[in-house]
Amino acid sequence: MDISLDSEKNDRKFALPVDSEHKATEFRLFSLATPHMRAFHLSWISFFSCFVSTFAAPPLLPIIRDNLDLTATDIGNAGIAAVSGAVFARIAMGTACDLFGPRLASSSLILLTAPAVFLTAIANSPAAFLMVRFFTGFSLATFVSTQFWMSSMFSPAVVGTANGLSGGWGNLGGGATQLIMPLVYSLIHSNIGSTKFTAWRIAFFIPAFFQTLSAFAIFFLGQDMPDGNYVRLEKSGEKHKDNFSQVFYHAITNYRGWILALTYGYCFGVELTIDNIIAQYFFDRFNVNLHTAGIIAASFGLANLFSRPGGGILSDVVAKWFGMRGRLWTLWVVQMIGGLLCLLLGKVGSLSASIAVMLVFSVFVQAACGLTFGVVPFVSRRSLGVISGMTGGGGNVGAVLTQVIFFRGSRYSTEEGITLMGVMIMCCSLPILFIYFPQWGGMFLGPTKGSTEQDYYLSEWSTAEKEQGFHKMSVKFADNSRTERGRKGISAPIPTDNENPPSTVL
Amino acid sequence: MKYFMLRSYILLFFLSKIINGDVLFSSLPQSFHVVAYPTKGQVLKAGEDRITVSLGLNQTTTNQTDNESYKNVKVKLCYAPISQVDRKWRRTVDNLKKDKTCQFTIWDKPYDMNNQTFEWVIEKDIPTAMYFVRAYAYNSAHQERAYGQTTNDKKSSNLFKVEGISGRHLSLDITSICFSAFALLSLVGFFLLEKRHSKIKS
Repeated sequence: MDISLDSEKNDRKFALPVDSEHKATEFRLFSLATPHMRAFHLSWISFFSCFVSTFAAPPLLPIIRDNLDLTATDIGNAGIAAVSGAVFARIAMGTACDLFGPRLASSSLILLTAPAVFLTAIANSPAAFLMVRFFTGFSLATFVSTQFWMSSMFSPAVVGTANGLSGGWGNLGGGATQLIMPLVYSLIHSNIGSTKFTAWRIAFFIPAFFQTLSAFAIFFLGQDMPDGNYVRLEKSGEKHKDNFSQVFYHAITNYRGWILALTYGYCFGVELTIDNIIAQYFFDRFNVNLHTAGIIAASFGLANLFSRPGGGILSDVVAKWFGMRGRLWTLWVVQMIGGLLCLLLGKVGSLSASIAVMLVFSVFVQAACGLTFGVVPFVSRRSLGVISGMTGGGGNVGAVLTQVIFFRGSRYSTEEGITLMGVMIMCCSLPILFIYFPQWGGMFLGPTKGSTEQDYYLSEWSTAEKEQGFHKMSVKFADNSRTERGRKGISAPIPTDNENPPSTVL
Repeated sequence: MKYFMLRSYILLFFLSKIINGDVLFSSLPQSFHVVAYPTKGQVLKAGEDRITVSLGLNQTTTNQTDNESYKNVKVKLCYAPISQVDRKWRRTVDNLKKDKTCQFTIWDKPYDMNNQTFEWVIEKDIPTAMYFVRAYAYNSAHQERAYGQTTNDKKSSNLFKVEGISGRHLSLDITSICFSAFALLSLVGFFLLEKRHSKIKS
């Protein structure tokens, strides 16, 4: 961490200790201090509400399928639709964050998708059901704004923790909804006395209101960056309003973004797939009743309370000692073990063994998600949003692919599908071996001699852009990310920069 | 040896089912004669229309001793095969404990040797589907002992359609559309506010 005279002067108004970019260097969970911790709480709560809305239908399906005369195929297609909308929405969200800031981007998306949840209450046919699930699923793109916002508010030393907690507690919504929606439904059905087919419709207003409220909270209480909102910072010249095509270009030409998109498809994508199929699996294979199957399904999602954050925290802890190389190794090992456990899950034949394996599997696969977003903030500074969006979108692609290949039709039994999914997780985790940062190294190779963080992050800006000083934020980030060298590298002398452009002093 | 093992396994399987008390539908005699009005082809509305059911003992197939073991009779509304297609939650299984064909009980009374007729208003939670009516007679241990149904063995005759309620109400429709419009209008409001703030700042 660089402690210069400058940052000490500017420290004045922050409740938490900050670095030169004014990003918090500590994470205090029970604080609501603006802007850092408030941003954290706003982001995880709004993401949680989007997950609740997206997966609000599955626990009420026994009633909805009778009301709308759905077949198993209709239900399967709606489930795939719910996760496929977010593929492109996540990439678009990443771009929007880079250009407009996470506050506007996320509150806009949440308000745009809230009508889909409200209109679920008046759906009258299988086609309408598919449409509302499809459009509601777009709201899962708030994941990207969550991660982007955390990466803007928290320094490299704690970014894994912040990302893991906000992502994990948001994902919790997928488990919580399996408990919330049946409860709300039975309150309306028994206490208010509505008929079954009306009660489920009224129940959907709850997630819809929650989602709308969270959008308002973000807009009025949130702030894009520690120093203010994009709009204000751009007007004052502190932040340069970036160029979309350049941002996009630098994201798609960074191979690390593509590798992480693939590997995230096989931790988060697997998590989404399991959310959709696991209740049915326990119901059909072990003959538990639907209520019990729902509780088991909920427990898979609820493990996110500690497992995804655990992955993020682990990433930060390992980085303190071994830097980025440690983050990469831990990610690969945890995801491989997750794949092995998935393989095992399909093979065990007894109910109690299945539940036990499923719980351990959930911890590893969700930790892998947290570990992935310990690496993502470092892939690019200029195109952080689009890279986050690509990775997030890759997660949903993985979910769609996996469900289409292994869990549709009767080609494979569900247990065969689960085992094969485990094999696919292990194969698709191998590309992590090829991620290499010249300044820090990769899993098998050390850093290139003489390569610095500044070289890496400033290569995203052209000379013309640098002359105009547009790259200032990347310079600060480069300096702050020296912690990724690990214990050994951090005490090494800073190689003299051959870059001494006189015009960067502003 | 293998064949012997297989046969004894099957025998043990069925014995265990009987010992467990699992009743198989294929083992039940069709002792009852059930007729329902309205009949084939009619569309009935849930919450409004009624079904009239008549049931009596089928004189030709009933056994006197069996007769005495019946304690109560339940009449159920059952899904026709066409409404079971691609819907595993309505599937027909021979083991009556796992069978999901008949999910709605419309009449549950102690057994009476005489012919009975009753009327039932179709309840509001009955979904849209094709149905037939089946009656089960139970013994004192709550096990099915005999049945009767309005349709043939293939379940292809005398099926009628029930149209379920939509569950929608005008008030729900209006509320839903209003709040959706509110969300979209708020979004426009946010953009205008943001633009105004940026103008003020500069």
